[in-house]
Amino acid sequence: MMSSLRGVVERLSRHRGVRASLIVSENDGLVVDSSLRFGEDGERVAALAASIYRKARLSAGAAHLGAVSFLQLDADEGRLCAVGRDDLVLVVVAEPSANVGLIRVELFKALETLA
Amino acid sequence: MNVAAVESWIEAPLRRYVDDARARLAVLLHPSGQVMAQAGFTRDVDVMAACALAAAAHATSGELGRRLDGRAFRGVHYAGAARQLFLSALELPRGTFVCLTVFDETSSLGLVRLYFEEMRRELVAATPAAVASRVAPMLAADFETELNRNLAALFSGPRGEAVIS
Repeated sequence: MMSSLRGVVERLSRHRGVRASLIVSENDGLVVDSSLRFGEDGERVAALAASIYRKARLSAGAAHLGAVSFLQLDADEGRLCAVGRDDLVLVVVAEPSANVGLIRVELFKALETLA
Repeated sequence: MNVAAVESWIEAPLRRYVDDARARLAVLLHPSGQVMAQAGFTRDVDVMAACALAAAAHATSGELGRRLDGRAFRGVHYAGAARQLFLSALELPRGTFVCLTVFDETSSLGLVRLYFEEMRRELVAATPAAVASRVAPMLAADFETELNRNLAALFSGPRGEAVIS
């Protein structure tokens, strides 16, 4: 299982513009596995991304919108993309210029491998 | 949330910590069990009990760490059904302190640890030069006097009365 998780984050990190890819526990906000570019703070990203994803999931449920399929946060210095299943959240932090469409497809593919 | 500190330089970093980490309760204490600051408590008897138990748990986990790992464990996390606690030592210019944080499903261990580290940095920066030297070990004879004085500083009302700001 651990080797398949490592493979997931490493494959995500190979894409152009990806600065960090992580598998995070949604409830704990802790890193399960990660592949980080030098200088990225994995623990910080994991805690905050898990918190955002959890809030989005609960908000979508409260608004009767169903399950969250894909979460994207755009900021001046980068973007965060996340998908989740059960207690695991797959997170990618990318450059603003990164191809979000491609990242989204790869995140869904990666999610399938975690099933 | 009501936040009170025996010394004013502790209050702002502790308030920011409980707000950012969405903690339900927090208490900062000396390893002897003397309370230095609290957030979220409404009764002095609860603070007193939390400090005594946190000091004991810190001493126990520290000794376990020394025996198992050659050095004291830095932090301990307990997960209950609805609430969790994070107990960790804080190395400040003034010496070692212990912080007990209680949180629930609105937060996470990751968030608590993240903002705990930020509070530690803020407390290091906020420690006044006048109190930066290490304090002398608490004498058993002075313990109760100091304890009562600190609790009185945190809870202005009569013993056991709820004080909510």
